[in-house]
Amino acid sequence: MPTHTPHFPDLLFPAAKRLRHWEGVLMHLLEEQGYEELRPSLVLREPVETNSIRFFDGDHLVALRWDFTVALARMLMRRFPEPPRRIAYAGDVFRHAGQPWEPVEHFEVGCEHIHTDPSESPDVDVELARLMMSVPAVIGLRGGILALGHAALLSRPMEQEGLSKELAARLVWALERRALHRAEEALGDHPAAKRLLAHAETLLVEPDGEASLEALGHSPYAALLEDERAHLQRALTKLQPLLPPNLILRLDLADVKGHDYYTGPTLRLWAPGAQQELAAGGRYDRFFPELGRPWYAAGFCVRLTRMLDLAETRPELFENA
Amino acid sequence: MSILIALPKGRIADEMLPMLSNTPLALNEKAMRSRVLHIPTATPGVEALLLKGSDLPRYVAGGVAALGVVGSDTLDESEVNLLELADLKLGVCRLSLCAPKGVTLDSLRMKPHLRIATKYTRMTRTWLKSQDLTAELVPLQSSVELAPILGLADAIVDLVQTGGTLKAHGLVEVEIMGRTSARLVASRGAYLSEPTQIAPLARLLTKALQQG
Repeated sequence: MPTHTPHFPDLLFPAAKRLRHWEGVLMHLLEEQGYEELRPSLVLREPVETNSIRFFDGDHLVALRWDFTVALARMLMRRFPEPPRRIAYAGDVFRHAGQPWEPVEHFEVGCEHIHTDPSESPDVDVELARLMMSVPAVIGLRGGILALGHAALLSRPMEQEGLSKELAARLVWALERRALHRAEEALGDHPAAKRLLAHAETLLVEPDGEASLEALGHSPYAALLEDERAHLQRALTKLQPLLPPNLILRLDLADVKGHDYYTGPTLRLWAPGAQQELAAGGRYDRFFPELGRPWYAAGFCVRLTRMLDLAETRPELFENA
Repeated sequence: MSILIALPKGRIADEMLPMLSNTPLALNEKAMRSRVLHIPTATPGVEALLLKGSDLPRYVAGGVAALGVVGSDTLDESEVNLLELADLKLGVCRLSLCAPKGVTLDSLRMKPHLRIATKYTRMTRTWLKSQDLTAELVPLQSSVELAPILGLADAIVDLVQTGGTLKAHGLVEVEIMGRTSARLVASRGAYLSEPTQIAPLARLLTKALQQG
């Protein structure tokens, strides 16, 4: 008799129906905004991530698609000399998660905005934030929190102080845990320890709006981070008037998760009581240049597996649950 | 729905629970005298779970408990994704490499096949790597001090508070590898998705428990 494994969950009628509905409404939302669907293969042949599901197809080691951005990038490299500007995607990805109880199969819908002129970036970032703001309403989530962060708020001071790769990783790890005492341990007697700790304290203010920006103005790196601060201020000014009811907009300066990947503004969507963010994304301008294309990119992904879990455990958070 | 705070049973609890009395998070004494592990606090809607330290991070990372107090040694041995909001400076210990009297770090370095018994394999591996040392780790859960005496290992890595147990077994600290203490931890989801509820509770716990 086949056994059920929690890492590869089967969806019963209500969950399957919900997933189909959410994929439909989210893809429709993206299509309305000019995002066109690309569908990369579920199987990737190129060198593969260690947390992916790998197997041999004859003599070839292959992996199930573990990330849409990576799979889409490989497709774009092969077929598009110029990037299509707005891409949408929907489907499954398979990757072993950080926690042993989390599923390996994930259902996602997402979008990428790729452009060649960096001056477009601020408007693209706001466009993506506005799109993410629409997500709770289209899937029937009663309320949510949109947290804005900026990866450069930590990376630029670390670069300026010439932190080694190892020390930078330890500092990022400490801030990811919001543990100032760990940051202090990591920096030890580094010549810039005092400045970096004062900055870390600034980043660790409780997530808020204008008050967080004001705190950033008192950081020892306030002058260095003037552009980033202005960018966040502009985003707040543009997004606040557009906020749908029941959605809260916050600045989370200590959002350093994915720090080695993101290069600019980051976005995370939370629901009250959700254990993990329901959508996440941001600007990742290093990615395509490393593949040999001078393209700038930002995007986000809605994690439908987490939405399904939440609908099961906290149905009161959804309309018509 | 109640907010749950996970508190450890044992050594840290003995030090910590009296500090919570006369605060809004004081544990209900009647429930404490019973065998239940789910204890109401003086604040309606906030309850405490009394858990074994090694299980506690799972309850917090899984979002069952919004906040918790746990030793940094337990955190460093596990790979759980949670927030670590404060060093409470309670239950402070040293994580030390210990060996029979007369043995030095240099003499351990010279051993062609060094064996170290410990409960803290992850932290020991990290330290060995930082020292450019290789050793065979002998995982033990308790009474680690017996291992060098009975020839199971050349040295041990263990938590040392006063050093009394080491002395009783003829062992000395050869190297202090780090310091451990109780930490206030939070579920990432609870803290970031319900900041107005969880952050004030976290501040309250820190104020009641933080030493020094």
